[in-house]
Amino acid sequence: MSWHRIRVVMRRHAYVLWRAPHRWFDIGFWPLMDIILWGSLGTYVARNSTSATSSTPYLIAGIMMFHILFQSQIAVGTGFLEETWSRNLLNVLTTPVTEFEYLAGTAAFGLFKVLFALATLSITAFGFFRFELSSIGWSILPIALILTIVGWSAGIANIGIVLRFGQGAEILIWGSNFILMAFSGVFNPVDALPGALQPIARILPSTHAFNALRAVLDGKPLPGNEIALGVIGAFVMLLAGFSFTAWMLHVFRRRGFVTRFS
Amino acid sequence: MTQQAADVLVAHELRKTFKKVEAVRGISITVAPGERVGLLGPNGAGKTTTLLMLLGAILPDTGSVTIVGHRLPRHRSRAMESVGFAAGYLPLPDRLKVREALGVFAGWYGVRNEKQAVNEALERFEITQLADRLCNALSSGQRTLVGIVKATLHNPKLLVLDEPTASLDPDVALRVRTGLLQFCASTGAALLITSHDMREVEMLTERVIFLANGQVVANDTPAAIAATFGYDDLEGVFMQLADEARRA
Repeated sequence: MSWHRIRVVMRRHAYVLWRAPHRWFDIGFWPLMDIILWGSLGTYVARNSTSATSSTPYLIAGIMMFHILFQSQIAVGTGFLEETWSRNLLNVLTTPVTEFEYLAGTAAFGLFKVLFALATLSITAFGFFRFELSSIGWSILPIALILTIVGWSAGIANIGIVLRFGQGAEILIWGSNFILMAFSGVFNPVDALPGALQPIARILPSTHAFNALRAVLDGKPLPGNEIALGVIGAFVMLLAGFSFTAWMLHVFRRRGFVTRFS
Repeated sequence: MTQQAADVLVAHELRKTFKKVEAVRGISITVAPGERVGLLGPNGAGKTTTLLMLLGAILPDTGSVTIVGHRLPRHRSRAMESVGFAAGYLPLPDRLKVREALGVFAGWYGVRNEKQAVNEALERFEITQLADRLCNALSSGQRTLVGIVKATLHNPKLLVLDEPTASLDPDVALRVRTGLLQFCASTGAALLITSHDMREVEMLTERVIFLANGQVVANDTPAAIAATFGYDDLEGVFMQLADEARRA
């Protein structure tokens, strides 16, 4: 493995981000819209509720933390798609860059995008709704770790699907986020989901991260069991994502699918 | 040291079938250090599939590929450090300036002084004026030139070019051929090139491998192949093989 080549992958994507205004939407505009949407919804519900607990912090913290997963996922997914959109995949495949180095570079660059998006989210959440991200405290770190790894895993698995089924499958890069959002209990505990769907939600590591987040917002200590389950699950998901995409890459090379992208 | 270990490229008995169609049927190719070889054949002969197998982008069903002693696919990364590849049909990364894109590739190839390597490679093919242009704003000919520059950044031991001058004006194509010959002479790089321009092949290569229906049908110097088939030059050989392939 070459750290230098990983850094060059990051530089390659930094150039793209610098010159692609629509990419700034992902880390600037959509986070802003999400805060406005979920913050306003929380404010409205709180205004019409008799409960002493406001739902606003739960909704805002939920969407903020979900953006960690979302940004990590699309950084990896669109990082790879950038090569297919510019038909540059064969150029990359004929350099010494390994699959791991390429994915590591996009994932590491994704961390920058996560930080930028979090900054946007924090500033707007405080500006519009007086919500402070720091209210979560250091508990944010293990929760963010789980969500980052789940995002990378989903992004890597999506690449495998695009390699196997072609560019038509790239809709999954965005679509998978909606699936993860619905099943991870971002805003609500899993038991609020329809009963038949709850087992799916419980096996997702992201669900444990959001359970932990709600516990912290309730004023309870960070639940160690949720974090442990989330971390273990996240690494299992990462390994599964890598294995799946390595398999799809083998199929891609065996069936000569590279000509689809060149 | 065996002859095989000394060769920069050794492909042995490559076979590839796509959905019951045998695209490549037992092709073996060797390229010696510094040797310039043409890979020719009519459309559907198996050139691109063979080339992509040599580069590790497609896995052969059977057979083996070894580049500078590194066996594919296991040692693909090490092997690619010694290979430069460009194709006339391949674009460059969108949204990057030429200098930036070349710097990225130089970094991936492990070049120590990226800036110097990029400047030297641009000067070699006389396109320094394109350095600050965006890759996606280049004409197809300019893009092809930059692609060739990209392939030579790291002084590879083997240069693989697929139809490199297909979209170039005759004067630019001549400049590219001259630049390639100079590059191979000065660095000792071997060249494996596909082209439909027989005059280009005769100018650039010392040996030609003709493919037809996924097999090697001739492997010799351009003059010897032309003589064997009873023609004055490769053009006649190509036309005959293309005609036979159509009838097969």
